[in-house]
Amino acid sequence: MTILGRLKSWEGLLLGLLAVIVVMNILRSPYFLGAGNIANLFQLSIEKIIVALIMTLIIINGEIDLSVASIMGLAACVLAWLFQMGASLPIAIVGGLLAGLAAGLFNGFWVAYVGLPSLAVTLAGLIGFRGIARILVEDRAIGGFPVWFNTLGQQGILGPITASILIFAVLFAIVAIVLHGSALGRLVYVIGNNLQAARYSGVRVQSVKMTLFAASGLIAALAGILYAARLGSVRGDMATGFELDIITIVLLGGVSIFGGSGNLAGVGLSILVILNLRNGMGLANITGNTQTSVIGALLIFSVLAPNLAQNLQRRWIGRKT
Amino acid sequence: MKTNLLAAASIAALVAMTGAASAVDIAPGKAMDMVLLPKFLGILPFDQAHQGAEEAAKELQNSKPLQFLGPTPENSVAGQIEITTNATTQGVAAIMISNNSGDQIVPSAKAAQAKGIKVVTWDSPIPSAEGEDVFVAQVDFTETGKVMADMAMGILGADGGKFAILSASPDAANQNAWIAAMKDALKDPKYAKLQLIDTVYGNDQSEASYNQANALVDKHPDMKLIMAPTSVGIVAAAKALQDGKLCDKIKVSGLGVPKEMVAYTMNGCAPQFALWSFVDLGYLSYYTAYGLASGAIKAEEGATFKAGRMGEYKITKDPTRAKGLRVLMGPFSIYDKKNVEAAAK
Repeated sequence: MTILGRLKSWEGLLLGLLAVIVVMNILRSPYFLGAGNIANLFQLSIEKIIVALIMTLIIINGEIDLSVASIMGLAACVLAWLFQMGASLPIAIVGGLLAGLAAGLFNGFWVAYVGLPSLAVTLAGLIGFRGIARILVEDRAIGGFPVWFNTLGQQGILGPITASILIFAVLFAIVAIVLHGSALGRLVYVIGNNLQAARYSGVRVQSVKMTLFAASGLIAALAGILYAARLGSVRGDMATGFELDIITIVLLGGVSIFGGSGNLAGVGLSILVILNLRNGMGLANITGNTQTSVIGALLIFSVLAPNLAQNLQRRWIGRKT
Repeated sequence: MKTNLLAAASIAALVAMTGAASAVDIAPGKAMDMVLLPKFLGILPFDQAHQGAEEAAKELQNSKPLQFLGPTPENSVAGQIEITTNATTQGVAAIMISNNSGDQIVPSAKAAQAKGIKVVTWDSPIPSAEGEDVFVAQVDFTETGKVMADMAMGILGADGGKFAILSASPDAANQNAWIAAMKDALKDPKYAKLQLIDTVYGNDQSEASYNQANALVDKHPDMKLIMAPTSVGIVAAAKALQDGKLCDKIKVSGLGVPKEMVAYTMNGCAPQFALWSFVDLGYLSYYTAYGLASGAIKAEEGATFKAGRMGEYKITKDPTRAKGLRVLMGPFSIYDKKNVEAAAK
């Protein structure tokens, strides 16, 4: 691809947008470039961007997982519940991860082996897993975890870089290798592009889908536990609504909601765009509903823009002929 | 001299004169960035506190504008942490927090203090008091329990009855302290006929609180009163009962804003409720934070200062939190049919 072609691509657009936002942030706030602020910028949304990585694979594969935020809440609540019942924290963490894995396998079973649409299955999961989380913790806030757990979620281990940020970096590398450098990654695209063709050419569609949903459950659980460590306490309504933020990050990254196209570089850029925008507005003392609206407007624009452009182009060509 | 004193109408002036020996005058005119962080944006009491803080900012001639920043209700906990973190990055002089995040705010508040920022809590403190310089308490939290028990007795009469509490969020330290104080007060034999049967949480969101009130009605057919120590919950509960045409069977009480409650008090749904002035609370919080940040006062037991029109205040140990310091504002105003209309104006 030529340089011009690259710039015209979706990633080019995101890169331009990112540059504008970063320059604006630098001009507007003298604190933006501090190492501590850059770490905070990731840290304050770290759980969402961790889950966005696995969501990228799921959506490219032509599916969706709406239950991730509920699984985050479920894992945190299982952890808190076990801890309160007297289990040691490492065991409670394993319990939380297993609960997430089980939830993922449950989703995967209905989607991959029974053939139900993932939209319906994971919508049920969104409600059901949240319900279990709320039953476990009820209307309480469970806290009082050992100091090391809270430190893990809140303090830097390499300068200002926290364990969560390191985990994100490692996962990013793993997902990049799986998606763009492995046989499994190619299958994810093939299935997302054309499910029937993939089936007829002998691709093991079921096991690919099962693997993805199980991984989604496990990673969401990990993110939920990191969220609990960052906040230092657990509530039944933790992470409610996160699934929409996570999915919008992926869509803004240029991943097609119909599956089959998109790449991790785009999602990485989309993460940077949203985090820098949020942070910049925070430093400019724009908070609350205004912040939500600005990010919302950006997302609406960015999801509509490519479709509109395509539409106009088609009409233009139509008129010429 | 004596006539002069009598002529001074304001009690505040009197207090200020008698205590002049020890109370610190906070010198105005310092330019300092200060952040007022409510639990979330968009409810009346916090806007009133903002108004009071602006009034104090003007009196103290702070040329830097007061930043009134808050999260959205559904993102309150993570949002408060984010705003505190960003304010720390900006190196403001003081942050005034109505804490809705339990001890979850502690790491970010500590980080702020480590950077030399004064952290003053108001309305709702940090439960462990870690990361907090001083808490500006609206009323004595033990007193709140008694006031609520008295109102319940007053409404239900000598026969008492069953009642439930509709609170805000399970992380709100002030709510939890008041509920605990009320449970404590109920141990007194004179409240023996009052029976607390349930506590539910509407998270200070109107719709959730409305639904919780309706759920209480369905769950407990013999319930006679909903006690909501939250300005959002009390309105939602009163509306739920009014919509269900249940006001002659079940009453609402708790802590509410006269302006929002006047209709329900006049029609008998909420015969009696209490509150303090949020304008004054914002005003006093600003004076406290400004005094600490400018170095005029130190966050230690016994420090005494003058807070403009409100008079003299002293920093003391907080009896409700082992390691905490507080400035106690007080007192309560009780509202009923007789005075609610005047207060709502």
